[in-house]
Amino acid sequence: METVSIIFSFIYQYADNIGFLLLAAVGLIIIFGMMGVINMAHGELMMIGAYITAFAYHAGVPAPIAIIFAGIGSGLAGIVLERLVIRFFYRQLLSSLVVTWGISLVLTEGFLLIFGPSILNVPTPFGSFGVGELTFGIYRLVLFGVALLLIGLIWALFSYTRFGARARATMENPEMAEAFGINTSRMYALTFGLGSALGGIAGGMFALTATISPFFGVNYTLFAFITVVVGGGANVITGVTTSAAALAGAQTIVNNAWSVYVGYVSMMLAAFLILLILPRGISEYLERRKIRVAKKNG
Amino acid sequence: MGSNEQRSVLDKYLGRLNGPQTIGRGVPFWTCFLAVVVVLALCPEFLSRYEIINFSNFLISGFLALSLCLLWGYCGVLSLGQAAFFGVGGYTYGIVALNLLNAHGNTDVAFVAGIVVPTLLAGILGLIMFYARLAGVYIAILMLVVSLMFELFLLQTADPDYTIGAAYIGGFNGLRPASPDDPLLPSLIFGAGESVLEFDGRSVEFYYLTLGLLGAVYLGLRWLVNSSYGYLLVGVREDSHRTETFGYDIRLVQLSVFCIAAAIAGLAGVLYTAWGTFIHPNQFGLKANILPVIWVAVGGRKDLTAALIGALVLEWVGIRLAAVGEISLLIMGAILVVAMLVTPEGVVTTLARVVEQGRAFARARWGRGGTGPRSERQDS
Repeated sequence: METVSIIFSFIYQYADNIGFLLLAAVGLIIIFGMMGVINMAHGELMMIGAYITAFAYHAGVPAPIAIIFAGIGSGLAGIVLERLVIRFFYRQLLSSLVVTWGISLVLTEGFLLIFGPSILNVPTPFGSFGVGELTFGIYRLVLFGVALLLIGLIWALFSYTRFGARARATMENPEMAEAFGINTSRMYALTFGLGSALGGIAGGMFALTATISPFFGVNYTLFAFITVVVGGGANVITGVTTSAAALAGAQTIVNNAWSVYVGYVSMMLAAFLILLILPRGISEYLERRKIRVAKKNG
Repeated sequence: MGSNEQRSVLDKYLGRLNGPQTIGRGVPFWTCFLAVVVVLALCPEFLSRYEIINFSNFLISGFLALSLCLLWGYCGVLSLGQAAFFGVGGYTYGIVALNLLNAHGNTDVAFVAGIVVPTLLAGILGLIMFYARLAGVYIAILMLVVSLMFELFLLQTADPDYTIGAAYIGGFNGLRPASPDDPLLPSLIFGAGESVLEFDGRSVEFYYLTLGLLGAVYLGLRWLVNSSYGYLLVGVREDSHRTETFGYDIRLVQLSVFCIAAAIAGLAGVLYTAWGTFIHPNQFGLKANILPVIWVAVGGRKDLTAALIGALVLEWVGIRLAAVGEISLLIMGAILVVAMLVTPEGVVTTLARVVEQGRAFARARWGRGGTGPRSERQDS
């Protein structure tokens, strides 16, 4: 009985950690992974989502609808940001890194000024269940499930819809896409808004478990970036899922053996090592392998 | 032409300090430079002690700005975690000074260690990152992660077990002596044997020391970026593939400039710890990392003078704003975003260009005015 609960606890933590990384990364998958646009303020868009969720919830809106509000709010905020600032920096990666970092500072400090450092809380729904002597929160598994669901939806959207085809054409070759009559600048704004909306939904989901403060976003931005970067750009969806699985694996094992801090460090180290061996990310390697296997068989 | 004679006189005395990689080459610029130095040197005469202490801190920011300017502006390697080297320098200085002060009576070793250790750290990190040919964006973010990891680690060292000899790391309490018998964290004390020269962080002497070092680093970097090495840096920034085709090992260039920048940031950290006889994990935090980026981006990343002016002016503005309320960082962020939208090359750089064009126009129109000939041609 004892060992069963330990093993389950391990699996639970692993799923929790994967869910965290995937959900944090879900908006950046589109914005950075697919469109190649840097946004250091992504965590702050998630923070906006978290605030909207918390305020809506305390105003009596049921949590799921509050989270949808968060998605809409963050999405609109994202489009505004893209139109006002980010679109001027598409061809300068480092400058866009710096300018969006400035935006993140403005949003953090602005929220601090308006809402103060006080921490908003939304109760975590669904209660818990027990395995052996240990109890586990159900909501964490819901987070994991929602993360997978959202990633599935992104994949379907980009693979099977007209919008997805246009977005892929835009990122593949903007000039060519333009020549075929696609309004690429609107495509960039829309995909940026979509990524921000997903970030807002993720922020809303996290709002039910984490404490919400103006400094909510920083950690999510970094973890999201690392997950997407380690995943690589060749096939973003498989890349991000495998990289989340790998990084969360390192984190979970070390977390249990040592401490939470060492767990974080080991995750960063794992990211560092993967990037050293595969500078273009995991998915690049997977794609190359697929081609090699296909050649051998064909 | 008279101005050419002036130019050759300048070249004779300034040599490599004057070159196309830096704005400001003519007589007016160097006159202004001297005037600023004189004004800064006379500050203690007409400013209060409190303001001199603040000014010392502004000057320390200048080192960090020069460090990031060299790295990002000249070589095109952006690090969002330049404060990591600042912090490591500061902590190293503190730890070594606490341990050796009683035995040596000076902080010579600590001063050197505070510069060498960050340089070595940069060497290791750079060796890994540049030789793996990581993309620039990844390097920028990884450096931020490294710095935040240092902060996270140091914040949880409040446990009394975290001591290194006579130094107690102290977590969120900041670095301090391990026991009441150990000496306090000292200011800079240079010396050999009996004769020592002490620079108390709150003294005018410390201000002059910082001013002198900043001037030396500024002029040294001017010389460096106008040497053939400087051209190589700009080559790597502008087109790394082409530079590589010419037979240069760009990884080595990036690694070396990364180390030089880290050494300067480490020096800033040493001075900071000595200035306040205190260092805190905050120095690795987000704010400590974003401010240098703001100074350099707003001033003008591609020129040492512009970055330095950006740092000094914005630090001064920041202190004024802090007196108003908790809006300093908000305004800094807004300044950054607006400045990058309006003047992508930086405010000071853009202003310098406008002045240059105005003088060129005046020369063309009235056939005189302006003593910096040829400069507009070299800019293009």
